[in-house]
Amino acid sequence: MSIYQCPSPNASTNTCDVLKYLIVMLAVLWLISVGTERLGYNWQWYRVPRYIFTFEDGHLAAGPLILGLMVTLQISGISLLLSFAIGLTAALFRLSDSHAARFLARCYLEIIRNTPLMVQLFFIYFVLGPVLGIERFFSAVLALSLFEGAYTSEIFRSGIVSIQKGQWEAAYSLGLGRFDTYRYIIMPQAIRRILPPLTNQGISLIKDSALVSIIAVYDLTMQGQVIIAETFLTFELWFTIAAIYLAVTMTLSVLVNFLENHLSVQV
Amino acid sequence: MIKVPKITLLDVVIMLVVTGILGYIGYRITVGIHYKWNWSAIPQYLFRIDKNNGGWTANLLLQGLFTTIRLSVWATLLATILGTVAGFFRISKSLFKRLLGRTFVELMRNTPPLVLIFIFYFFVSDQIMSFLGVDDFIRNTSERTQSVITFLFAPPRFFSAFISAAITVAIFEAAYITEIVRAGIQSIEKGQFEACNALGLSWRQQMQYVILPQAIQRILPPLAGQFISTIKDSAIVSVISIPELCFQGMELMAATYLTFECWITITVLYLTLTLSLSLAVERLEIFFRRSTA
Amino acid sequence: MRIKPSSPEDIFAGVILAVITFFMVCFVSPVLAGDIQNKLVAESTIEQVMKRGVLKVGMSTFVPWAMNDKQGQLVGFEIDVAKRLAADLGVKVEFIPTKWAGVIPALLTGKFDVIIGGMGIRPDRNQKVNFSIPYDYTGQAIVANKKLAAGFKTLEDFNKPEVTIAARLGSTSVTAAKQFMPRAKLTLFDDESQAYQEVINGNAHAMVGSAPTPAFQALKYPETLFSPIEGTFTKEPNGFAVRKGDYDTINYFNNWITVVTAEGWLKEIKHYWFETKDWESSIQ
Repeated sequence: MSIYQCPSPNASTNTCDVLKYLIVMLAVLWLISVGTERLGYNWQWYRVPRYIFTFEDGHLAAGPLILGLMVTLQISGISLLLSFAIGLTAALFRLSDSHAARFLARCYLEIIRNTPLMVQLFFIYFVLGPVLGIERFFSAVLALSLFEGAYTSEIFRSGIVSIQKGQWEAAYSLGLGRFDTYRYIIMPQAIRRILPPLTNQGISLIKDSALVSIIAVYDLTMQGQVIIAETFLTFELWFTIAAIYLAVTMTLSVLVNFLENHLSVQV
Repeated sequence: MIKVPKITLLDVVIMLVVTGILGYIGYRITVGIHYKWNWSAIPQYLFRIDKNNGGWTANLLLQGLFTTIRLSVWATLLATILGTVAGFFRISKSLFKRLLGRTFVELMRNTPPLVLIFIFYFFVSDQIMSFLGVDDFIRNTSERTQSVITFLFAPPRFFSAFISAAITVAIFEAAYITEIVRAGIQSIEKGQFEACNALGLSWRQQMQYVILPQAIQRILPPLAGQFISTIKDSAIVSVISIPELCFQGMELMAATYLTFECWITITVLYLTLTLSLSLAVERLEIFFRRSTA
Repeated sequence: MRIKPSSPEDIFAGVILAVITFFMVCFVSPVLAGDIQNKLVAESTIEQVMKRGVLKVGMSTFVPWAMNDKQGQLVGFEIDVAKRLAADLGVKVEFIPTKWAGVIPALLTGKFDVIIGGMGIRPDRNQKVNFSIPYDYTGQAIVANKKLAAGFKTLEDFNKPEVTIAARLGSTSVTAAKQFMPRAKLTLFDDESQAYQEVINGNAHAMVGSAPTPAFQALKYPETLFSPIEGTFTKEPNGFAVRKGDYDTINYFNNWITVVTAEGWLKEIKHYWFETKDWESSIQ
């Protein structure tokens, strides 16, 4: 039986499969707990909640982990906007007539896409930081924006290139200059097509922002490391942090799906 | 007629701006922060004279580069196996398998790799390594086997850490390879599947003789791109002290405090590695495009 | 009921059975009693190390406790201690460089047998691992940025919310900084050198680290750094850390430390690595 000849799924095979899946997931969790017991690790989940939130004077106060999450979201948000700006500029440079612009964009893309983000973070913080006088938070934002900007520029470029040539020709015959063509004709259509991949960049950014902990920016991962260094609640905290990241990125994924379904272009 | 490149206004503006920025940076480095360049200290970290046989051998930085290459190669191999299996799960007719595949991919793609590394480092290495009893086995083999293992993987004392790092990176990359495999198989025209049905081939025969040979041509170029991605992602394992290139860079910076020279050298080393591989991948893509044309 | 007469095979089997039972009774009781003891010994880290033939030591780069020299080999005070320990045990030594902030979890998950890396004995760490008796005493020192911390002379000067202190994540410097300068902001790094770099670059007012390195750094970069306070402001014992519940191993280590201290060997190598700078050329 081939892939395209599935037996029509009926309720009982579906529930059977779902049950099997749940059993496998539970088995995995059980394996984890058994495995760590063998190591002599003593789980202390009851110590974790105070790092998420605390009750102070009768109202809810954010614990270190939530504060770190705020910083993560802040860095990701600012970097996202900045990376759009950088990416759009790089895409336009690559498509322009100017040799210098194309060369510059190409250099930028090749360097950024071929070196690890960690190396770029260290480079910007330890080398460019003292030179240009940029402090920690902005170094992190700059490094993330430059890194994601390279991938965003490819998205922008593919969006612009996907607009049919007829649109360009019509704009030219109407006497519109290059800038006006981009502004009124090309970009509005291109952006509708690339909005889902662009929002995917947001998810990428949140994941990559975890790396800024290596230059001691107090984001979610850094806060986790500090707490673990003091309390040694290694596994509990790493799983909690992973769960928080998952919650944020899954929410964004749902948003992306929603956008994809409602903005899909019928070409 | 020789084509003279047209100089546009944008060209001029860009060249002025770039020169201005470079000039400013140069000024700040020499006058602003009085950085004392010391490039002469770097080459000794690339090569050193081996006391035993008097020849040149690789020192920390090059050793880190080789470790990065080995780590990426093994991680990609493992990830391809795991990713192919998961890819088949994703397109399977069984909902159970589809759910498993989807969970795996979504979990790995939505968690930051840094967090995954920390979690796997404390779990994977112990469970799997002590289960396989690899450590003691490696220690007790002959000199020659040990040198082969050192060449292929890592010196015996780093062996289990290396394998854990490789497995961790492999699990992470496998999520992306799953999608590549899935896209490759789903890009085969429906007609092929229908023809297989008409011929009465079983699922296994269909995959083996018809679908996979065609899909592999579409999968290989993105797979090679994923290999290059793995080289970059391998930098993350430096946080668990695997002596690969980024880690050696941090050690170098710690030993000499020559931040500028150190990070410029590391960037150049990574660029050399990935750019040369990118060129090779481009050749590969052209080869495959020609053979399917 | 008639008792069946025993055939020769039956008698033979009966005798064998009796002999076996006799031996079992003789040996089982002491075996049962000594069994728990044997198990403890067999599971002890020292036994496993000797069986394996290698002592796996977890450490982190910490000048001058452990550093890489120009040949890429590990050298330092802790390296010498570990090498001597392994030699006395009759096994080889393997160093597993680990991120300092994760060194205790790594020990707990079995990545190495013992932490020999200038680890300070602290009650909160003691809740997770067992320590040997102290073999070394260190203290925290502070080095500051000349421009940012101009005129600061006491620890109280640094105890202000605008002041940033850099330190190594997971080290006793963090505890010391929190204890003496609770209102200052802390920036924590995995590596000591990154923390020093912060101060040199002017992103932090001061760095708290284990002596003697802060003083060395002040000497190395006299234009940017200075030592606001001479000497150390805390005194901390350092010990070997092993997994909990292993009396055999702790006993061995404690006695080994007592012996090498009595020999004067520990004092000798401490003097070499901490008070002289003869080793500097081999790492620079």
